[in-house]
This record gives sequence, structure tokens and C-alpha cells, in this order.
Amino acid sequence: MVDFDWPWQYKFPPFFTIQPNIETFKKQLEAWCSLVLDYQRHIKQYTLDVTEAQNSELFYNKQLNRRLSLEAIYVVLDELKRRGNLEWKDKSKKSCTLIWRTPAEWGKIIYNWICSRAMNNTVCTLFELSDGEDSEGQEFHGLDKEILIRALKSLESEGKAEFMVFDGSEGVKFF
Amino acid sequence: MSRRPAGIAAIKNKNLAQAKYKDKGSELAESQFVQMGQQMEMFKNNLEDFAAKHREDIRKDPEFRLQFQEMCASIGVDPLASSKGFWAKMLGVGDFYYELGIQIVEVCLATSKRNGGLISIEDLRRKVEASRGRNSQQISIDDLLQSIKKLKILGNGFSVHKVGNSFLVQSIPGELTLDHTVVLQQAQEHGHVTLSGLIQTLNWEESRGKRALDFLVKECLGWVDDQSGAERSYWFPSLIPDFTTTLT
Repeated sequence: MVDFDWPWQYKFPPFFTIQPNIETFKKQLEAWCSLVLDYQRHIKQYTLDVTEAQNSELFYNKQLNRRLSLEAIYVVLDELKRRGNLEWKDKSKKSCTLIWRTPAEWGKIIYNWICSRAMNNTVCTLFELSDGEDSEGQEFHGLDKEILIRALKSLESEGKAEFMVFDGSEGVKFF
Repeated sequence: MSRRPAGIAAIKNKNLAQAKYKDKGSELAESQFVQMGQQMEMFKNNLEDFAAKHREDIRKDPEFRLQFQEMCASIGVDPLASSKGFWAKMLGVGDFYYELGIQIVEVCLATSKRNGGLISIEDLRRKVEASRGRNSQQISIDDLLQSIKKLKILGNGFSVHKVGNSFLVQSIPGELTLDHTVVLQQAQEHGHVTLSGLIQTLNWEESRGKRALDFLVKECLGWVDDQSGAERSYWFPSLIPDFTTTLT
């Protein structure tokens, strides 16, 4: 995997301290939000566990010996939630789903891929889509199942696909 | 001996002589003027020849440009004073500095999000050169300073502060006092500053150091770090070299 291209702020020690100046803080928050989304996209992770993340390189720069406090992490995550880029999985806010691409955008990408392979009117399983050999190298390869279902549902609402459940497994037919 | 008042003839003679002196004087002045005019003409021609001959050098070579600037300054000619003068026509230097000025403004605006409107001259040079494309001529620090001087005509938006042996270009309104630049200089040497550090090295009163630091934070120039030990430290993005080639 290509190394993640950390922004300059990540190597700037004060980035890990909430800034007292409101203007500077806004810039800081903005930078943290994009960093979290970019990083999650880079490592292809859709779920973020707050306790784990606290010690991950995302929020803890070992080289600088600087870490973002739990309180500050919640400030960033709440801002992402406000922007619609995050959804809490539980009420206690222990883990969340990061939405760095909306379900509709994912749906579009998947649909384009289906069309390019002339797989319209065929049925595929969800596993084939997200983990099949054919989809390897595609952006949606390895997509979180929950997000995949939402993407397909959004295609369904556009009349481009039909979501179906048979014998306990889930599949989708594209039109 | 009896004194006699001057005779009419003597007075006439004197007046005549005075008139002659006057004539001669203006004659001399006129010939001097003509001579001066000729000299000026010659000088201008030579300078034009020189400029035309070394046009390429002046445009291409920052070192040469600096020397040409200095030569012009020492004889009281400002090749940048007017974009319509023969200088601009001869050299395109007028355009050169105006163009540069616009690029400087662009870079300063684009990077102000990161640095709060204060950029080191080296970063500015790197970014301006990047925005001009690979094949354009080199830009020297002096070119930037010249250009920024011209930007002052537009108001007090731009100022240059000498910090250590480098310069910081300020593109936001707000007065940086000597105290502030001294703090920046300290930060440049050590990467960051602390209040007690300032008190120690500069022999400042605590309130003086606090005021300077609070101002720099208030102006979005300084960031605070609370994880560097017992004391809060202050950092300045403008002093961290920015090697990215994109504008933002």
C-alpha cells in the first residue's frame, strides 16, 4: 500500500492541542476532519472505534509524542457527524461509521462498473460485489456491507437495481 | 580734494557693463543648458543601448537585474516608476515587476489559511516560482522585495519584516511591533518559544512577553502546544518551511 501522505499539520505539534483562538481553531478542526476522512479512505476503513483510534497513528503521532485528547477526538467526530460524514453506531458513541462517500455516490460507482461489464439483468451476490475476484482493484472492493446495502438501496430507489433476499443470502439484480 | 558726485558718463558705463555681464551670463547658461541637454540625450541613448543590448540578461539573470537596479538608483532613475516609460517598452521590466506583484498577492492569499498571512520570503519565492511554471526565469529575493515595495502603492496591506537574516512578508493588516518580530526571531532559531524562554533570553518582564505572545495568537499567527512539557509553547506555521508546490 502506498504510504499515506500526511498533511503538514500532522508534523506540527500544536495541531494536537485545541487552539484557543477561535479562527485558528476553525482551521484546525477543518484540517482534522479532512485528515480523518482521508486517512480512513486510505486504509479503507469505514468503522472507527474511538478507544482504538485514540492510540492509532491517526490521533497519536509517536514521533512527535503528541496525541489528540479523547475530548478533542469527540469534537472532531461530532463535527463530522454535523457534516453528515459520520454516523454513530451506538448511543454511547463508542464506534462510528465514516461516510467519506455518500451511499448514492457509491451506488453510481457500482452501477457504472456493472454497465461497463454488461452485467445488467444479471443477479450478483453482495459478496461477489464487495469481495469477488472480478471487483478487485475497484474502489468499492472491500466495501463495508452496511454501506454496500445502502448504496444498492439508493440504486433501487432510482430504479436501477433490485435488492433481493433468497435462502438467507442477499443479492442484487441490476437493470 | 573735493569729492564730486559720479558723472552721468560713469553711471552709463556702469549700467552698460552690468547689462553686458547679464547678457554674457545668460549666454553661458544657455550654452550650458544646451550642453546638458546634449549630455542627457547622449546618456539616455547610451542607457537605452545598454538596456537593449542586455535586455535578455536583465530579464533572465536576477543578479544582473539587481545590479542594473542599483545602477539606476544611484543616478536617480527608477525604471519601474512608470509602466509607460521607455523602460517598460525597452525592457518589459515594468511588466515584470507588476506581474510578479500579482503573483505575490496570489500566493500570500492562498497560503494565508495556513500561515495566518505571514510567509517567509523563501517560501514565497518557492511558491511564486512554482506558480510561474518551470520554464520561466528565476526570481531572486531582491526581485520579490522590489515588487512588494511597488505593492505599497496600493495601501498598507503588505509589509516586510526583517527577522534574523531572513524576511517575513506580512499580507494582513495589523501592526507587528518590534517585540513581535523579536519573538518570531526567537521562534525561528528554536522552532518554538515559551514565555519563560523569552523572559530568560530577552530579559523581558513577564507581562511584556505575555502581551507579545497573546497578540501573535490573537492574530492567528501563533499556535499553542500544551504537550511539550510543563509549559505551553508557541509555534508559528509561517516559520515552518513549506515545500508543497500547490498554492493551498
